[in-house]
Amino acid sequence: MTSASGTWSADKIELGHDEGIAAGPVRAAGSLAGATRRRSWLSRHARALTVALLLVVVLSPFLWLVQLAFRPAADIFDDSLLFTPTLDGFISLLQGNFPKSFGNSLLVSTLSTCFSLLIGVPAAYALTRWNFKGRDRIALWILVTRMAPPIAFTIPFFLAYQYLGLQDTVVGLAIVYLTFNLAIVIWLMQTFFEAVPATLEEAAWIDGCGIWQAFWRVSLPLTAPGLAATAVLCFIFSWNDFFYALILTRTNAITAPVAIVNFLQYEGWEWTKIAASGTLVMFPVVVFTVLVRKYLVRGLTAGGVKD
Amino acid sequence: MASITIRQLAKNFGPAPVIRGIDIGIRDGEFVALVGPSGCGKSTLLRMIAGLESIDAGEILLGDRRINDVAPRDRDVAMVFQNYALYPHMTVGQNLGFGLTIQGLKPADIARRVRQAAETLGLGDLLDRRPRQLSGGQRQRVAMGRAIVRQPQAFLFDEPLSNLDAKLRVQMRTEIKALHQRLGTTTVYVTHDQVEAMTMADRIVVLKDGLIEQVGAPLELYDRPRNAFVAGFIGSPAMNFIPGRLQLDGAPSVLTDDGLRLPLTSASRGAHGDRVLYGTRPEHFTIDPSRGLSADVIVVEPTGAETQVALRLAGQTVMAAFRDRIGARPGDRLALWPVPGEAHLFDAAGGQRLN
Repeated sequence: MTSASGTWSADKIELGHDEGIAAGPVRAAGSLAGATRRRSWLSRHARALTVALLLVVVLSPFLWLVQLAFRPAADIFDDSLLFTPTLDGFISLLQGNFPKSFGNSLLVSTLSTCFSLLIGVPAAYALTRWNFKGRDRIALWILVTRMAPPIAFTIPFFLAYQYLGLQDTVVGLAIVYLTFNLAIVIWLMQTFFEAVPATLEEAAWIDGCGIWQAFWRVSLPLTAPGLAATAVLCFIFSWNDFFYALILTRTNAITAPVAIVNFLQYEGWEWTKIAASGTLVMFPVVVFTVLVRKYLVRGLTAGGVKD
Repeated sequence: MASITIRQLAKNFGPAPVIRGIDIGIRDGEFVALVGPSGCGKSTLLRMIAGLESIDAGEILLGDRRINDVAPRDRDVAMVFQNYALYPHMTVGQNLGFGLTIQGLKPADIARRVRQAAETLGLGDLLDRRPRQLSGGQRQRVAMGRAIVRQPQAFLFDEPLSNLDAKLRVQMRTEIKALHQRLGTTTVYVTHDQVEAMTMADRIVVLKDGLIEQVGAPLELYDRPRNAFVAGFIGSPAMNFIPGRLQLDGAPSVLTDDGLRLPLTSASRGAHGDRVLYGTRPEHFTIDPSRGLSADVIVVEPTGAETQVALRLAGQTVMAAFRDRIGARPGDRLALWPVPGEAHLFDAAGGQRLN
C-alpha cells in the first residue's frame, strides 16, 4: 500500500514538471503545439507514405511504359506528363503482324500449360501417394531441368529441333516450355496433394472407387485452388519467355515478346508500338496474377507450416 | 450381411510384427469390439479387413469368400473413420450418396436411399450443408450415414467416438448400438475405451502386441479374465493387484509381503508358496470392522452414484468403490475386507489365471 501511493505521488511530481514547461510564453507554446501536430500527422501516416513511395518506385517502369503507349509519337520523349492520350500505337499494332504473334503466344502458353498439367499432376500424385524405392531421388532429378541456366539447353534443343523439323513451330516451342514447366507442376502439386488427408482417399476406395477414380473425384477437386495457381505460374513462364522463342523461331511461330524486339529496326525504333505491345503483353499476366494471388501465395508456401 | 472369419492372420511393418497369427470368427450380425492399448494392432487388423493394409500371412473370409486379394472397392464393407473422412467439397447429401453414385445407381434411387438414411440419423435438414458447417456430432452421424446408406455386408468402425466430448460420446454410443440392433449388420468396432466395448459389443476381443489375450462376452471378460492383462484392462477403475504368496495350508489365502492374509475360496492351480497376484475389483471391497484389514485413506472421489476411495493397503495404493456414501476423509483408517468369492488369482510371473 505504501509503495503504491509512493509511485502515484512520483507520477504526480512528473506531471507537474510537464505542466511547468507548457506554462511558458504563449508564442513558444503555440509553435510547440504546431510542431507536435505536424509530427503526430507524420507519424500517423508514416507507414502509408512509405508504402506509397515504395509503390511509385516499384511501379515506375510499368507506369512509364503504359503512359508511353498512350502518348502521341511526336512527343514520345517529352518530359511533361501532360499530353493528349491516343490509341494510335495500339491501332498500328493491329494493322501489322503483332496480332499473329500475340495469338502464337496465347497458343504456345495454353498448350504447354495444359500438357504440363496433364502429365505433371498425375506424376505429382504418384510421387506423393505411392511408396516406391528411389521416390525422393526421382523427385529430385525432375528438378534438374531447373538447375542449369536455360542457355545450357539451347544448342541441344536447336540441333534436335532442326533434325525433327520442329524449328519455328508452335508445337516445338510448347514442348520446350513443357519440359521446364513440368518440374514446377510436379513440385508444387506434390505439396498440395500432401495436404489432402490420405483417409479421404481410403474412404473413397471403400465407397467403391479405384485409385484413379478416387484421385479424380476426391483429391483433384480438393487441390483445385493449387491447380489454378500452378496453371497460372506455368502460363506466365511460357508467356514471358523471350530467350527460347528468339532462338527457336523465325517467322511462323514468333511470339509476342520476340515481336516487340522486331520493332527495334535499322530505320528507327518504334517507341509507341514497343510501349503499346509491351502493355498488351503485360495485361494477361497482371490479370491472372491479381485473380489467383491468394492461391499463388498459398501455393508457394503450402506445407511450410502446420494448418 | 455376412460372417467374417480370420485365420492365422499376420502382418509386419518392416521387421516389426504388428499382427502375429490371429484367429477370430465373427458371426453374421454380431457386434464385435476390438480393444487393447495403443500399438496392440487393433486398427491394423480392422484396416486389413477393409483392405487398406496388405496381408502377410493367413486369410480373411467375408461370408464364404476369401478377400485377401480383393480391392477395398470390391469387398462390400463400409468403414467409419476416426477423423470422419467426409469429403469436404461435397454436401452432406453428396457425401451420403457418394458410394451409390459410384455404383451407378439411378439418381432417384440414390435420393430415396440418402433421404432414408438421413432421416434415420436425424440429418434431414442438413443435406445441403458442407461438412465444415457441421458440429462434431453431426459429422459423426454423416460418417455413419455414409456407411449405412450402402447397405454393406459389414460395418467397420475405427475409434469413431474418440474425437467427441464425453457427453456426446455416451449419446452416440447408444445411437450406434440402437442402429446395430435395428439393422443387424455384422459390425467390427475398434476402440481403446473399454467402457465403449463393454457397453456396445456382443463379444470383445482383447489384443496386446498383435496377439489375442481373450475373446468373450463383456461380462465374461469382466468376471473371468483369463490373465492379469485382461483383468487390468477391462473395468474402470481398474482391478487392484496385490502381490503375495499362495497359502494352501488350511483355508486358501494369499499372504502379502507385509504379512496380511487375503481370503480366497479356491485355487484350482498353483502350489503352496507360489508368487501370485491377488486381484480384486474396487467394488468387491467391503468395510468389515470385525476382520477387515487396516487401510489408510489417501483420496476420496465421490461421483454421486458411488464413492471411490484410494487407500494404502499392504504397501501399495488400492482403489475401492462403495455404493454407500461413506463419510471417509483423507487420513482416516478403514477396515477393508475383499469379498473372497470375487477374488481373482494370477500367476505373478506369467499372469495366467489360477482360480
